[in-house]
Amino acid sequence: MSHTKDNLPKEEQVHITSYKDHFSTLIALLLLTVITVVISVFGANLRSLSVFTALLIATVKVIVVAYYFMHLKYDKKVYTWLVLIVAILFVSFAVLTSIEYLNR
Amino acid sequence: MEHTSAFSLPNSGHNRDAEASKMGMWLFLFTELLLFGGLFIVYMVYRSLNPESFLLASFELDVAMGTFNTIVLLVSSMTIAMSITAIQTGDAKKSIFLLYTTLGLAIVFLIVKYFEWSAKIHHGLFPGFEVYDGLPPGESLFFFLYFFMTGLHALHIIIGGIIISVVIYRTKKGLVTKEKYTLTENAGLYWHLVDLIWIYLFPLFYLIH
Repeated sequence: MSHTKDNLPKEEQVHITSYKDHFSTLIALLLLTVITVVISVFGANLRSLSVFTALLIATVKVIVVAYYFMHLKYDKKVYTWLVLIVAILFVSFAVLTSIEYLNR
Repeated sequence: MEHTSAFSLPNSGHNRDAEASKMGMWLFLFTELLLFGGLFIVYMVYRSLNPESFLLASFELDVAMGTFNTIVLLVSSMTIAMSITAIQTGDAKKSIFLLYTTLGLAIVFLIVKYFEWSAKIHHGLFPGFEVYDGLPPGESLFFFLYFFMTGLHALHIIIGGIIISVVIYRTKKGLVTKEKYTLTENAGLYWHLVDLIWIYLFPLFYLIH
């Protein structure tokens, strides 16, 4: 079975992200940055909370960059799975290390 | 030029595999993530041992400059993503323009970094300087990690800039086209990774008040 250019199977069709979508992603990332800085600079009395919040927002930003800019949303799912495996590996190692430190 | 490659298949006339190239790039990015990941764990452990010193030392960093550089990198991530959109729609000129913009933003980032570093070095906070040697152990550790991690990150910015320059050159020569833009895509992936690392470096070093 041969495919003409307009009749490719779904997984071979290339998704082209529009300029507008890229711009919207940037706006979301900038808003998250502003929120982080505002919490950090004006919420100094909420110290432990602000560290956690800053990391949480950073993680949201990273997910947005990976999902939209790095095209994970439209790529084969194998890339998303690989990213998740690496992320879980790293986070579990970091958490297990810190548990040891917290129990001293 | 044709048939010079040892691996060209009899009937294909080429040996490109866009999907394999992309997978190769992602596997490389994972090694980069684990490289910085290890450094982040070093940071985490030492910070939990010296919370007060890390806090005090972090006040030396300029939040305004850090925020500015964060914005610069986020915008550059958008421009390189847009340059892929441009080449996919066959607009090589626009793609090259957007790549130049990304390169320009990379240079802006490095210039700001230069001013930040020289201010710290001027205050003697670089490892080996007198003030640095006189700091309490936790604070000198903060500055060591700051210089090492942002230095390694800046090295990635420089390498990213070189890669983007190669993409510009090859797009100009017509080697990157609407049908064949894997190079632009992979350069984009690398550049986004550099951005991702900064997204964590920024709050951890500048915003821990």
